[in-house]
Amino acid sequence: MQESKPTLPKTVGLWTRPDSPKLVTAKNIFDYMDGAGELYIGYRFDHLEYYEYKAQNQNGILVELYFMKTSDDAFGLLSLDWEGERVELAGDSVEMAGKTEKMAAEPVRLSKSLRSKAAREGSSWPRALYGEGLLRLWSDTIYARIMAHQETLESKKAVLAIGRSIIKDRGNPPPPKLLKKLPNSFPEDWMLGKDRTSYFRSYLVLNSIYYLGQENMLNLDLNSEAVTSPYEKKDSGGEKRVHFLLLQYPGNKQARQALGHFHKVYLPEHPIFFQSDSSGEISNIFLIEDGWLGYKIKDNTIAFIFECPDQKTARTIINQV
Amino acid sequence: MPHKRRSLTRRDFLRGTLGATVGTSLIGTKWLRAGRKAAGSSLVTIVRDKGAMDASNNVNPEVLKTMLDQTLTKLTGKKTAKDAWLSFVKPEDTIGLVPTPHLNPTHKEVVDAVRSSLIDAGIPENKILDAQGGPDKPKACTALIGLPALKAHWLTGIGTVMKLYILYSGRPSNYHDQNNSKLGEIWNLPFVKGKTRLVLVDALHPLCDKGPQVNPRYKWAYNGLIAGTDPVALDTVCLRIITEKRKDIRGEPWPLSPPPLCVEAADKVYGLGTSNWDKIKVELSGWKEGVLLG
Repeated sequence: MQESKPTLPKTVGLWTRPDSPKLVTAKNIFDYMDGAGELYIGYRFDHLEYYEYKAQNQNGILVELYFMKTSDDAFGLLSLDWEGERVELAGDSVEMAGKTEKMAAEPVRLSKSLRSKAAREGSSWPRALYGEGLLRLWSDTIYARIMAHQETLESKKAVLAIGRSIIKDRGNPPPPKLLKKLPNSFPEDWMLGKDRTSYFRSYLVLNSIYYLGQENMLNLDLNSEAVTSPYEKKDSGGEKRVHFLLLQYPGNKQARQALGHFHKVYLPEHPIFFQSDSSGEISNIFLIEDGWLGYKIKDNTIAFIFECPDQKTARTIINQV
Repeated sequence: MPHKRRSLTRRDFLRGTLGATVGTSLIGTKWLRAGRKAAGSSLVTIVRDKGAMDASNNVNPEVLKTMLDQTLTKLTGKKTAKDAWLSFVKPEDTIGLVPTPHLNPTHKEVVDAVRSSLIDAGIPENKILDAQGGPDKPKACTALIGLPALKAHWLTGIGTVMKLYILYSGRPSNYHDQNNSKLGEIWNLPFVKGKTRLVLVDALHPLCDKGPQVNPRYKWAYNGLIAGTDPVALDTVCLRIITEKRKDIRGEPWPLSPPPLCVEAADKVYGLGTSNWDKIKVELSGWKEGVLLG
């Protein structure tokens, strides 16, 4: 389906938008959001269009449409935070948290265990999440934020209506293929934390999720892609957790260069040398300050596991990858 | 040619070797490191009032004024806000007010309250300047009063006290990624050093997750003012509050990422104050519910 540009309603509820959006590009994004532009530049950002809906005697609603170069990048932005009530925007009514509701007066608050359960059992990733006046959604190559500066029943209806207008007649591509390489579990009983899984291309984003260091030691750029997630030991109540990182590069050479750089910065006591044209699978495990670290490199892909409690777990997981 | 130090990693943070790895100054002057800290403990006051904001998060100026007066008298031991101010500044000073400009900015009501309180203390209105901005701002002032808003930050972990003067560097983007641990050196610049008389943190409506844009899910009504003269101690207390709130939200520990290296570096490398909780004395007044000090 050819992608169409959303047509936002001129008036929704009490609110009216200006005729045209304001435009933000990579050149002036730092003027628009000082200290935040790096996030969007770290994905394949094309441009941003934003509207401020206004109403008399009401706070406004800010609508930001981030046009990304690929659907994967729009997904990635949503994946940075899976918190909120899952919203199904298709159709005339809105489904929230698995129930069809005609604009509930109060947001449904799911407990942590229910959210995790919903995340694990859901056959699909959420495409829209709502909480306290903010709707975030992924619609093909668009990532959108629609935020009411003051949440009321009326503003919530308006926010959700705007969300529906954004997704209307747009495609529904699948999430990034790289996510399919995430196992649902590792032996023995290490379960995927799907509600903490994030897709990205930038080391700054990685550091905001799982801090490794000040430098781009894994040579991440817009031509690479990565996914990271915790795995939790079943029935440990969150007490036992390891962290998984999967990276894919344009080619074998780039993957090996990245791993070499990682060794130099993160494991300087364990130097490693690659022939520039080498191939084949290599795996290693090391004991460092916060537990056992393991990795496996194969072709253009590297998998890391961090903070394993023991050598056996690290070896088992890396062998499983 | 100076020896190129290796860059900071998670392992340095775990080992506590941050000080040895921070590396050279971005501004290039060797005296920007290792200032001398005062001995003894650092006092941080927290004044909270449940009525500071209404249900729609609108600030009540009268309640805020009372909180400010209490903050000043408790911090200084003086009997009146006027006497408290005059222990920090003189009428001849040119005083710069430095609020957080964006991404959970300092409430205008807080800035106005401080300005009015200074005027009531006898400071001429034309001697109170807005000092947030480039290097020319602090250069025009003989005294600075920091008014940061309490917030996390996606690039630096916490974006409250240490980050407040980032624009004074003239090159703020330099401190956003690899070098955010060096934010403390800005406080030692010759046109900044020694001018900060008081830091008053706007903790009315803090932000506990990093953004970069505000998500209302991570804002809450703390309804507090946090104050002191040790900027590192203040950031340490602010960190504790944010961390406890995050734990509260998730029901389990949810550490900031990246870790707030700038706070530890401000202590151990730049000598700006203490990040050691045992050397910080917190005096709490007012509303006790949800104080989040662990």
